[in-house]
Amino acid sequence: MTVLQLTNVTGGYTRKPVIQNLSFDIQKGELVGLIGLNGAGKSTTIKHIIGTLLAQSGDIRLNGVTLQEDMNKYRSSFSYIPETPVLYEELTLREHLELTAMAYGLDEQTLATRQQALLKEFRMEKRLNWFPSHFSKGMRQKVMIMSAFLVNPSLYIIDEPFVGLDPLGIQSLLDQMHARKKEGAAILMSTHILSTAEKYCDRIILLHEGRVRAQGTMKDLRAAFNMPNATLDDLYIAMTKEQDANEQSK
Amino acid sequence: MNSLNDLWAKRFAHYMSEVQKYMRFVFTGHIAIVLVFLVGAGGYYYSEWLKTVDTSFPSEILVAVLVGALLMMSKPVTLLREPDQVYLLPLESHMPQFFKSALRYTFFSKLFVSIVPYIVTIPMLKATTTLSTKAIWVIVAVIIVLKWCNVQGEFVYRYANRGANVWLDYIVRFVVSALAVYHFLLEDYVFGILFMAVAFVYVTSLAGKVKGKPVPYEHFVKVEQNRMMSFYRFANYFTDVPHLRGSVRRRAYLNFMYSLAPFKQSNTHLFLVLRTFIRTDDHFYLWLRLTAISALAAAFVDLWWAAAIIAGVLSFATAYQMKIALLTSHSFTMDQLFPVPASMREQAVRTVMYVFMAIQAVVVLLCAVFVNPYFYLLGVIVFVVAFITERMTKTPEQM
Repeated sequence: MTVLQLTNVTGGYTRKPVIQNLSFDIQKGELVGLIGLNGAGKSTTIKHIIGTLLAQSGDIRLNGVTLQEDMNKYRSSFSYIPETPVLYEELTLREHLELTAMAYGLDEQTLATRQQALLKEFRMEKRLNWFPSHFSKGMRQKVMIMSAFLVNPSLYIIDEPFVGLDPLGIQSLLDQMHARKKEGAAILMSTHILSTAEKYCDRIILLHEGRVRAQGTMKDLRAAFNMPNATLDDLYIAMTKEQDANEQSK
Repeated sequence: MNSLNDLWAKRFAHYMSEVQKYMRFVFTGHIAIVLVFLVGAGGYYYSEWLKTVDTSFPSEILVAVLVGALLMMSKPVTLLREPDQVYLLPLESHMPQFFKSALRYTFFSKLFVSIVPYIVTIPMLKATTTLSTKAIWVIVAVIIVLKWCNVQGEFVYRYANRGANVWLDYIVRFVVSALAVYHFLLEDYVFGILFMAVAFVYVTSLAGKVKGKPVPYEHFVKVEQNRMMSFYRFANYFTDVPHLRGSVRRRAYLNFMYSLAPFKQSNTHLFLVLRTFIRTDDHFYLWLRLTAISALAAAFVDLWWAAAIIAGVLSFATAYQMKIALLTSHSFTMDQLFPVPASMREQAVRTVMYVFMAIQAVVVLLCAVFVNPYFYLLGVIVFVVAFITERMTKTPEQM
């Protein structure tokens, strides 16, 4: 079953589009990696999906609806973990979770149960009444992660999740992602940590200059680049060289 | 050294454009009208009071303390920046040139702040003392000289001691300046000149200590940063200063207020806005300050209609600024993704405004009980003006 479907999406910040004719989909229970060089359009793609940027053409369907058709259904179908943690300096950890639960219509019982498990998993039980100004970068990241997993939506959008997390944090995140996937959630993850992406992603989308350069399983990608036995790093570097060659020939 | 003069000129031009950028908002915003009203009401009240004031009123002491305090505030405007600690090090021996320009600007820009309030007190001096016009204007000259001493004094003290225990310097300069002005007000010129001489000796002795000491870049950069921060904070009352981020305090004694937003989806934004308002210093102190001023005015202004105007004007100022502060956002926040109606935030801000303006109304009403026969009216005015302000003003997005 398709959770997220992008069809010919073109868009960006100004009239000059950053992403062009982007089409891909994500199925239930699938972890998809969004990979590309700096400036390839990963963040722009994500901003279109979460609805902070609107597409110039094409449409984005989440659980069958676009943002315009049913804003509440669209928005409650995903949760988002941004690359840099965005916290309310005036809310404690407990209040961040409470606010998220209220916004997504969870009842207090559900909040209590899920919160307990997440706090334990990410070792943050003792920080419930702390303000973000006392948190390290990794802890701030964990607050975002816990808020996202608290909602239990059908799609997770995770932007560069591993930077700043300690190894235990990374493991907890991967465990959580695996568990949610098994329960049927779809995950779109953008990252530069290619070895992790290769190991955990079911499919990979390689973005290049705002277009999908290749997508599919590792097997598909190796075929597309004509590089059998290549790792994702090799493919990534091959794409870089391709770009350099193109730029020099211009 | 030419390059350092150029550097000052460049810094100064940049600083002026920055100040102008924000002052434009200060003089054109709604608040300017409020200020005109306040100044007008204050002026009227002052002139009415002068008609009734007794000659036993201690105006000399009052003016000496006021002018002394204004003279004391002479923080150097150096326009130094953080990288200067590294890049200006090789030019250390030429820095006196730079500081000379800086202190000249400091002197002229702060002179105004000492002289204007003095001039405002002249009618009071005329009404309550026997000072001749000549004697009154002699004091203006005294203030100019003392201001120069204070500007130099604070600079050399900070230079010599790297800012340590600067309050000592403040006390010395305040006492000496106030005493000098006080004796001139009594037309006791011998003591007046004596205290001016003390100020002069104080400055020259400190200036001697500075010789051979390295420039305390770090301290001056910090002073400069704090000064700019307070300017930005001031400008923030009139417009939005993008790089200003308010500090946050828990204020646990107000936790009971959060029961206004019990756990349910329709309270999502109220939950957030209540906490944002109560815990962000900028927002909360804004309300607290204006409420305190309004309460003081209600308690001490016994002309009922003047009290009513002040209460109304301050209610407008509070409500308007609360609305701007709580409805503007510059960056992405997670609530923009929440699956709740977009109007919920505005609704929440409205509720928080009504609650806190009702508190202001009650405070003002209580303060006016013994002074004003129409005390209940003040409370009504505060709330009604706030209500109308909330309804009639545009939300920041529409501006």
